[in-house]
Amino acid sequence: MSIQRARDDLAIIAVTGPDACTQPALVSEPIDETSAAGLAQVFKALGDPVRLRLVSLIGARQGGEVCVCDLTSAFDLSQPTISHHLKVLRQAGLIDSERRGTWVYYRLVPAALERMAGLLSVPVAATHRNLSI
Amino acid sequence: MVLDPVGTAACCPPLSAQPLSEEQAGQIAPLLKALADPVRLRLMSLVASHAGGEACVCDLNDAFDLSQPTISHHLKVLHDAGLLDREKRGVWVYYQVRPAALASLAALIGSTPAMA
Repeated sequence: MSIQRARDDLAIIAVTGPDACTQPALVSEPIDETSAAGLAQVFKALGDPVRLRLVSLIGARQGGEVCVCDLTSAFDLSQPTISHHLKVLRQAGLIDSERRGTWVYYRLVPAALERMAGLLSVPVAATHRNLSI
Repeated sequence: MVLDPVGTAACCPPLSAQPLSEEQAGQIAPLLKALADPVRLRLMSLVASHAGGEACVCDLNDAFDLSQPTISHHLKVLHDAGLLDREKRGVWVYYQVRPAALASLAALIGSTPAMA
């Protein structure tokens, strides 16, 4: 395992965490400063139209894996720009990559996306409370 | 019909089901960008957890080492993105989380298929 690879794995662990499945919803309890700082970084990675489209293009691909060579054609952007956006997503732990031969292949990290979805989820009680007003 | 960002997020299938169009991505990204700040994330959770599900800047000040105008600015960003509702009563503006906005983002981001 290369040092870069090990660093990437650590980044992913930082995002998904050992308690990835128990991420409390944002609306359930106040989040602490440390969690907020980490989660803000992930939202920053997702809060860009090109990166959102990259995530959806990778996720929608049958087999769940996309070569960077297939992604560039969907954008009016240079390959280095696409690679930069992919790097931001990878550092946020939202996608993973693997080099095979000439190309790098990307796939989603479902646990990281589910964790963000869990954070944004709205418990039924909260929905009722707000709807009843 | 032009949908607001929250409407766009609500009508889109999960990110992993179908590629977003450029227009859809352009409308949804600002919602996520509004959340891409530690202070604003904490404000969302504090407003939601506050008694009655609403809070004014006067209730939120103490939780931060920031000036009231700064907190108000962050609340305005969240309101402008469609993540908070607001209502002026007397001298204070009261904020409430818009559950539909969060739920539609959650549906968009989540539901990734299990990888083989």
